[in-house]
Amino acid sequence: MAGSALRRLMAEYKQLTINPPEGILAGPINEENFFEWEALITGPEGTCFEGGIFPAKLVFPPDYPLSPPKMQFICEMFHPNIYADGRVCISILHAPGDDPMGYESSAERWSPVQSVEKILLSVVSMLAEPNDESGANVDAAKMWREDREQFNKIAERLVKSTLGLPLQ
Amino acid sequence: MKALLATVSSLVLTTVVIGNAYYQKKQFYPSIVYLTNSNPSMAVMYLQAFILVLLVGKLLRKIFFGQLRPAEFEHLIERSWYAITETCLAFTVFRDDFNPKFIALFTLLLFLKAFHWLAEDRVDYMERSPVIGWLFHVRILGLLMLLAHADFYFIHHAYQFTASKGPSVQLVFGFEYSILIIMIANILIKYVLHAIDSRWEAPWESKAAVLLYTELAINFLKVLLYIGFVAIMVRIYTLPLFAFRPMYETMRSFKKAYNDVVLSRRAIRNMNTLYPDATAEELAAADNECIICREEMHTGAKKLPCNHIFHAACLRLWFQRQQTCPTCRLNVLRAPAPEPAAPAPPPAAPAPPPPPFPNMPPPPTMMGWGPPPPPPPRPAALANLTTAELQRLEGTERRNVEARLLLLREIQAMLDASVLLMQQYSAVVANMPQNSANAATQTDVVTNTETAAPAPVKKEPDVVPTTSGAGLRPPSPAPSSSKAHPEGPQSDAATALDSNRSVMQ
Repeated sequence: MAGSALRRLMAEYKQLTINPPEGILAGPINEENFFEWEALITGPEGTCFEGGIFPAKLVFPPDYPLSPPKMQFICEMFHPNIYADGRVCISILHAPGDDPMGYESSAERWSPVQSVEKILLSVVSMLAEPNDESGANVDAAKMWREDREQFNKIAERLVKSTLGLPLQ
Repeated sequence: MKALLATVSSLVLTTVVIGNAYYQKKQFYPSIVYLTNSNPSMAVMYLQAFILVLLVGKLLRKIFFGQLRPAEFEHLIERSWYAITETCLAFTVFRDDFNPKFIALFTLLLFLKAFHWLAEDRVDYMERSPVIGWLFHVRILGLLMLLAHADFYFIHHAYQFTASKGPSVQLVFGFEYSILIIMIANILIKYVLHAIDSRWEAPWESKAAVLLYTELAINFLKVLLYIGFVAIMVRIYTLPLFAFRPMYETMRSFKKAYNDVVLSRRAIRNMNTLYPDATAEELAAADNECIICREEMHTGAKKLPCNHIFHAACLRLWFQRQQTCPTCRLNVLRAPAPEPAAPAPPPAAPAPPPPPFPNMPPPPTMMGWGPPPPPPPRPAALANLTTAELQRLEGTERRNVEARLLLLREIQAMLDASVLLMQQYSAVVANMPQNSANAATQTDVVTNTETAAPAPVKKEPDVVPTTSGAGLRPPSPAPSSSKAHPEGPQSDAATALDSNRSVMQ
């Protein structure tokens, strides 16, 4: 079992290095342990996160791909679907049956068909279009709905801080 | 750094307290008496004992685990809080026995529990870590042996105590250590399985199934223990609130394990018996990759009712989690079996409608129609369906709508043909002598309105032959009824067509 998880992760890593999706970099933190990856996600163009490079950590379970990995941003994030500690809350990362927010249909849950690439692409689209109904970060969801200007300001600050630029 | 500070300061405090006592009393026994009678001194001593326990814990951790991973540490802290809360609840039940020895025993229990949790986490981690050295095996085995011995000793002690002195707080300890010994057994089984798995080069397929059954058995034992414990406690003391959370969790995981076993067994049996092996052509036609393990399929691939193909071994593992198709999430337990139980054609599917003009040769356009499209399976109630099934249904519904549209076009063509015929007919009638035409229309009306009345029927045979003799091709009792058609149904059909088209768009 461990063997098959390892082989599949290696296959995905190979696929991602040969044919990387735009704006996404991902790979094991060190080659000794294929079950912990780091990913760099660039903020989607035309959104308030444009230009930022957001590092995240992916932790895979031993029975991957039968169970979903966990994803957590390492940098500071402010987004309706990201917990304050950086954990990402999207339906593709939840196994059917566990639904922290009670909003998700089983059709969009984890299944072995999903992959690291699909997860990261979903996260990119999540950055572009937050789902403020199932708020992991209620403050961010509220601000996204009611005070978009303030939200954009915070996002801009985050982008700058991830790039190591001085904040004015 | 903080820990060091705490250790040093508590050590200093203890030295001061003891030194002070000795300085005041000058002798061993009086200073001991002084110490035990002074509350602040006792507090310092307790603190020192606590710090010592922590230090021993750290030492043992260093010996058996080395550095803890962050996840392990988090897990440990989280479980410790629950355990401490429950211990405090337990204190309320046994407040009469409350004394230092009692606290010490509970601390020891917590201490040992923490090592059980750590061992469990570490063994679970085996599956993920690519390299496992001999040190790992020595550590885990040594720890498990030690913990098992400690558990046995305490169970034995509790049993002896209860047998000789009647029920006391030792009941709780006996029970807690029994749970822990079951946990040790579980960890040991997992360890052996993982160890065997890591030795083998080829993936060991039945390991997951063995794990599933182990979990079921272990949870069953635990549930029995909890129920027995609660029953005894209720009889002797009171409701053991502190056991409720773990009991509830054990029952829930038992139920889950039971469901997993039952459903996965059913799904796997279905897979083995009902679903066909994918043929070489099917493998060649589809992308030859099993979506679960991302490896090529050569043999041992199965086709699900939804036509998706996977490795049988991968499917088996997946069915132990969920009984759905990984690709389209078709519920394989609820889906109709592929061949043997093909659903009967539903009554709603229109059988080829009786030709409206029985005696008329079917119009040429009828030829292209052929047999009706295969009727899709029609589930009983929409509310009971999952989203995936609804989507599937939508897929077939689309085909139905298309088939219906085709049908409507055929009807329109037929109606056009009948209009043409009617025009021909009226042209012929107009050319005929006036009175016979009158008679013809009269009989038409009569046959139309009073087919049941016997009197006018007598007249009919005279007239009908003349009209048919007048060269009208389709000799029909029907033309009268068909007269009404060209307007009504055709326009209906046209509107239906339009509405269908708008639906399609």
